[in-house]
Amino acid sequence: MDFNLSDEQRAWQMTARKFADEEIRPISLQRDAIPTARETWDWEIIKKGSKLGFRTMAVPKEWGGEGTDFVTQALVMAELAKADSAIAKAFSQNWKWSHLISRVCTEEQKKRFLPGFVADDTWVLGKGITEPSAGSDNRMPIDDPKSGIKLRAEREGDEWILNGEKAFIANAPIGKLFFVDARTDATVPPKQGTTLFLVPRDTPGFRIGKVFNKSGWRFYQNGEMIFENARVPHANVVGEVGGAIKKAGGRGGDTTGGDLFGDLELAANALGICDDACETALRYAKNTKQGGQPLFAQQNVQLQIGKMFMLTEALRSFVLRVAWEHDMKIHSANAGLAMNYSTDVVNEVTELYMEVRGAQGCHMDHHTDKLVRDAFIWNHLAGDSLSRMKIARRLVA
Amino acid sequence: MYNLHLSPEQLEIRDTVRDFVTREIKPAALKADRLDVADRSLLMAQIDAASQLGLRTLELSEERGGAGADALTSCIVAEELAAGDADIAAVLSETSRLSHLLFDLALNDAQREQFLPKLTGDDRYHLAFAAREPETDTRLGVNYHRPAAEATLRTTAVKSGSDFVINGVKDCVANAPLAGLFAVLTNIPGRNEPGALLVPAKTPGVSVMVHEDAWQHGSCGAVTFKDCKVSAGNLLGDDAAALLSGKDTPGRGSPLFQALNLGIGRAAYETALDYAHIRIQGGRPLIQHQAIATKLADIAINLEVARAAVWQAAWASDHPAAYADRSVADLPLQTIAQVFTSEAVMKAAKDSAEIFGAMGVMRDMPLQKYIHDARVCQHTGDGNSEARLRIAEVIAGYRRVNETAMALAGE
Repeated sequence: MDFNLSDEQRAWQMTARKFADEEIRPISLQRDAIPTARETWDWEIIKKGSKLGFRTMAVPKEWGGEGTDFVTQALVMAELAKADSAIAKAFSQNWKWSHLISRVCTEEQKKRFLPGFVADDTWVLGKGITEPSAGSDNRMPIDDPKSGIKLRAEREGDEWILNGEKAFIANAPIGKLFFVDARTDATVPPKQGTTLFLVPRDTPGFRIGKVFNKSGWRFYQNGEMIFENARVPHANVVGEVGGAIKKAGGRGGDTTGGDLFGDLELAANALGICDDACETALRYAKNTKQGGQPLFAQQNVQLQIGKMFMLTEALRSFVLRVAWEHDMKIHSANAGLAMNYSTDVVNEVTELYMEVRGAQGCHMDHHTDKLVRDAFIWNHLAGDSLSRMKIARRLVA
Repeated sequence: MYNLHLSPEQLEIRDTVRDFVTREIKPAALKADRLDVADRSLLMAQIDAASQLGLRTLELSEERGGAGADALTSCIVAEELAAGDADIAAVLSETSRLSHLLFDLALNDAQREQFLPKLTGDDRYHLAFAAREPETDTRLGVNYHRPAAEATLRTTAVKSGSDFVINGVKDCVANAPLAGLFAVLTNIPGRNEPGALLVPAKTPGVSVMVHEDAWQHGSCGAVTFKDCKVSAGNLLGDDAAALLSGKDTPGRGSPLFQALNLGIGRAAYETALDYAHIRIQGGRPLIQHQAIATKLADIAINLEVARAAVWQAAWASDHPAAYADRSVADLPLQTIAQVFTSEAVMKAAKDSAEIFGAMGVMRDMPLQKYIHDARVCQHTGDGNSEARLRIAEVIAGYRRVNETAMALAGE
């Protein structure tokens, strides 16, 4: 076994650390505190990070991207998230969907979309799956034609006409290109009747509705997508008609790129939050006095901080192992298990951090409050019962 | 005698308050804007309406115009109110608690004659106990099981003729922005123990700064007393400071704020349970799925056991003889209820939110507010690590000299 990083991996990690410290951390709390959900986004940080390659890390080199391996992506993810989990996610959401473009789009589609994405520092990607009446039903589809996605796509010559809406879609308010799951046959179960489309932001009949006002991950925007006779060319169908959900499943889950990276991405992002909590808690406990002694002199505080580091280091091992397995093309339930585990760890570590800090009478530190709010995002995204069952089922697939 | 039958009066008041919360509080508290934890504005119309129902002076004796509620009844009411809005519950609980401690126990006849008509005659007359000072460390922490100097007060009241002149700053004072009357914990030169002085909020030299982002329910603020002059007749008796601080019965007082905490958990639970019945995914209502059902069962377990701890502590504080004859454990039952309830409710609120999927984190939806409210309960004041140390000192048989002196002074 060799735990050494390559020079290239180390270089990416150092660049990410510097960018996180110098650019992300200084704006983190200020962006978190902006009360209006629509105004939390900051293009400047995206442009700066994009110039360093953090937007296009997962685009293959032959298409002008950085072509980094999974270990590098996990390392960078954790470094960026250590300064701000939501800003880090705003970058990595693009990695997730550029993996998907690389794996499932045709050469013609790649030619149409990848050069534009790579060249434009403000080009952000998204994917619309969830709908108001279809959340869990999309993540674990059942064989009832009435269940799941309601967004309809009907063929009209060389075009598809889309009608319906998506909810809670990441990057919707600011994205330029979206993958959208739509029902092309409502008479069969969603598994057979759903098709994946590429929908550019300027598609006629497609608009963005409300921006959701989340308690955590404030910077990272989720919005409504509204389709009113939106016209999408047939050339934008990804894979085959009716084939959107078929690609999912198997021991490694969706190995086309999206879910495969998504599990690792969330686990690595959680690791960044945990690193932040550990480092800040330790510094606080060494520098803050109580009863004339540093807080760290207390057994209880030692136990709390020791546990924070223990869980964080275990998560780091799991994350990097999964990243390495991905690079070796070994796909198993491990990525999903790491994601579920990261939910438990990020919640426990941030709560221990809050316990170490405590409320000073009736005043809670903003950074501490932000970390527990960000961590709770994992409970519905990465570690809810459905996600855990879905991953458990990979063990027997 | 162990008896969990509530009296007809207790059942009636519980149902009345529950009905009031459903009709008057929830429609206002559940408005999307109000669910944003950044909105700390109090629902004053509802607080006034609750006051007209008698909830502001619930614990004040009947002969003085209150409802004479005991600790258990007050806890039942606090839970019901908090299931509607934790801030309303906090404001009313604080005034109700102090109305009894001050007007039934601490004030002398002359003081009562002066202030009682204001309390009973004005629905907006609230009470506050100004004790905590900024930068003061009230934790045992490193001094667990070791003698430690008690935090010294900096606020001072100096006798000047027939008046006291008070100078000092208080922090995190519950109800400060609403209070008509403060009881102020202060040094008095020439006395060994701190005293408590009544200071009407309108006294020149009193100023209140609201804590906008307070990690505390209700409304709280910093109070500054600058050359603030009150009559020497406003000084409370020697035992009032210990009584108001809860030092006469450390860890064994009424678990009023633990009941409030429980109400937050119940609100989360009931919201999740309703949703689990109506939301259909996987071809049937959520509650028919094993995974969600088990989660709801866990929430119910947590809340029921917490309620048992709260009620036991409340009942024991109503029946101190039960401690004396060892009917209940010789332990700080209120502190025990605090630790268990705050952790159980935190878990219940998070589990409830998870049932809502992405809506569980949206600021215009109730679940994230219940989580925040539960977190506030868990970490306000000195937190559970500190509470565990206080319980441990009792188990260890360690007696704090200062508190012993306080307790003796109160006897």
